[in-house]
Amino acid sequence: MADLSKVGTEYSPITWEVERGKIRELAKAIGDPNPIYLDKDAAVAEGYKDTPASLTFLTVPMMWADKMPAVINDLKINFMMVLHGEEEYEYYQSIYPGDVITGTPKVTKMEEKTSKSGSKMDMVTMEVLYTNQRGEKVAKARSLLVERK
Amino acid sequence: MAQEIYYEDVNVGDAMPELVKGPLQKLQHVMYAGASGDFNPLHTDDDFAKAVGMKDGVIAHGMLIMGIVGQAITGWIPRKDLKKFGVRFAGMTKPGNTITVTGSVTDKRVEDGNNIIVCEVAAKDENGDVKVTGKFEAALPSKA
Repeated sequence: MADLSKVGTEYSPITWEVERGKIRELAKAIGDPNPIYLDKDAAVAEGYKDTPASLTFLTVPMMWADKMPAVINDLKINFMMVLHGEEEYEYYQSIYPGDVITGTPKVTKMEEKTSKSGSKMDMVTMEVLYTNQRGEKVAKARSLLVERK
Repeated sequence: MAQEIYYEDVNVGDAMPELVKGPLQKLQHVMYAGASGDFNPLHTDDDFAKAVGMKDGVIAHGMLIMGIVGQAITGWIPRKDLKKFGVRFAGMTKPGNTITVTGSVTDKRVEDGNNIIVCEVAAKDENGDVKVTGKFEAALPSKA
């Protein structure tokens, strides 16, 4: 079960270079035909500098940098018993290919809850603030993980 | 794809254009695992999924369903106008499910000079079972 004493822990940042191909690959995997994610010319025609990162793109650096598994491990959460409860993003500005973004994960809340059926679970809230290569805030992600016990 | 939409043209109660996708295929879980980097075998390996209590095998990544809701949103409101998007994962999605995303405008207000609209969204399967509920906010241009 989760080590509730870890609340407030800030982890070392991850840094990730955003690639046009990865933005397109995520859109293709979702099956999103919106050309702004697939084709630079189409994106420019709609007023973007390049193909913008889609609404859920920020899951990519967190997973591919192996950060989320490492954090889950450090929090002593049983990976097999984790459910993704909630996910929320705040967008401060567009993320484009070539941007180098840095995300610093922080555990902002940990609590044990009891469900109506009487089973106990640990609720862990993580926030990641992302900045770009110019030090500007680009987005914030908040995830609620639920560990069944 | 999404045409410019002006604040004055959006009213509380307006419906977001509906998006229907499916039936979803296991192959899409593999594509999503590769694209997102989430290789939890719960989404790609039936034997593993059954061993951890999923009697029918693999389930979709929650983030894939959130991505599908995101497709519905930025098919309507331009990506650059989005300010917030959050969801609660309410149910598991299985291969064969057909997902319908719906939404409606619940609030609009001017805040710090921005023309904000708030919409509630939901993704349900062909039986009406809710997979995701959520909300997004966008700042729209004004005709003024």
